[in-house]
Amino acid sequence: MDEVADKIVAILKKTMKNPPETIPMDTKLSDLEIESIDLAVIVFDIEDTFGIQIPYNANEEVQDFATVGSVVERVKSIIAEKGNTAGAAA
Amino acid sequence: MSKANGARRVVVTGQGVVSSIGIGVPDFWAAVRRGDNGIGTITLFPHGDLYITIAGEVKGFDPQQRCPSKPFLLADRYSQFAGSAAIEAMTQAGITGKVEDGFRAASIIGSGIGGLTTIELGYDDLFIKQKKATHPLTLLRSIASSAAAHVSIEYGIKGPCFGTVSACSTAAHAIGLTYQMIRSGMIDLGVAGASEACITFGSMRSWQAMRVLSPEGCFPFAKRRNGTVLAEGAGILVLEDLEHARARGARILAEVKGFGMTSDAADMVNPSIEGPSVAMQMALDDAGLSPDDIDYINAHGTATTINDINETRAIRQVFGNAANKVCVSSTKSMHGHCLGAGGGVEAVASIMAINDNFVPATIGFDEPGAECDLDYVPNVGRAREVNYVMSNSFAFGGLNAVLVFGPAPD
Repeated sequence: MDEVADKIVAILKKTMKNPPETIPMDTKLSDLEIESIDLAVIVFDIEDTFGIQIPYNANEEVQDFATVGSVVERVKSIIAEKGNTAGAAA
Repeated sequence: MSKANGARRVVVTGQGVVSSIGIGVPDFWAAVRRGDNGIGTITLFPHGDLYITIAGEVKGFDPQQRCPSKPFLLADRYSQFAGSAAIEAMTQAGITGKVEDGFRAASIIGSGIGGLTTIELGYDDLFIKQKKATHPLTLLRSIASSAAAHVSIEYGIKGPCFGTVSACSTAAHAIGLTYQMIRSGMIDLGVAGASEACITFGSMRSWQAMRVLSPEGCFPFAKRRNGTVLAEGAGILVLEDLEHARARGARILAEVKGFGMTSDAADMVNPSIEGPSVAMQMALDDAGLSPDDIDYINAHGTATTINDINETRAIRQVFGNAANKVCVSSTKSMHGHCLGAGGGVEAVASIMAINDNFVPATIGFDEPGAECDLDYVPNVGRAREVNYVMSNSFAFGGLNAVLVFGPAPD
């Protein structure tokens, strides 16, 4: 069970008007009809859920947000970085 | 005399400004001419965990010097900026006491958010410090009508008095509505514009969440642009009926030639092309001018990816071939995005451009961004004849307000 992926998909579905049953990892975000301020809301939800900060500027082309899978990977790597930092500080 | 159809003409007899590049029109305009950058590291409060730590703060503002009457001294920072700009404008207009016919004067001074510093301190007192009560002036300092009321009290203005609220178009709407009120014959004189002082921790956090701020700076229309930068300030004009101004021997700085306002009716964040272009066309029609007549467009130019492309397209749509020769610059590159006050600060820049025959630069410009193909007056301002200036304001929610200024009538 990929808990991170499941939570992220749940957040995406919450923001979409007509969410499909399943959302495969290779789905492009642009195909999910997520527009305008919705993406900022999704990023905020993800940050809140995982207690992380996702660097993201709406003015820049962000590869991290190309597909659902890339978002999951980015979130996982930020969580890992955070874990490492905490470990180093201890 | 008047326009062909006998309509009243509206002129500018005073202006005042507070900005991150200078307080007062002389300092402000000298900074614009030099191409100063007012954006820097935030000093108003500890950064905490903010990752955007730059803004266009007003430096060295002394309320004792700029707005010394008691109500202003006790007011929120946003009201103090408004007071400073209004007093400067009225002093230039030659009005230092109560206006002559109070009921025929207006005070229309808006703000995007009003007394946000007061609101934030109030919540800190209540929820964190667990105080039993807020300061009694908290409410009066917070509401976004207080600056207009303070100015009305200061000058005995007894006619229309209220604040406009339309995000980044607030000041332009205030100026435009006042122009329409004078033109309709309802009033003869109006103090119009807006003020914004909302660089607080809460505000920065809220703006960060929108993901439209740049960590580096404000670079409108440039390839390097990656978002906007918040700023504080105030821009206020004294508008007057032409004959009324002439009768009292007032010095006339410029004329308000036209005003257009529309809404996109589309999206809260992403602008349309239709709304801005129709507003620009309306302003031109109201002014009785054609695109060829406009020498300079002071753009909304926030340096977001989306505004700059959209505004460029809208300008091309309205101006046609004239788009190839009009100068377009964004002074936000220097003073930052003053939010509600932006249109007022930019009105002052537009009027000074006419008076000084000088087009401000868009500073920080490396090379044109994709699909940004107008003459943005990169980096260095330009001395040239400037008669007619268009000033654009396009706000969240698709609220568009466009002003056209011209030279003082002969």
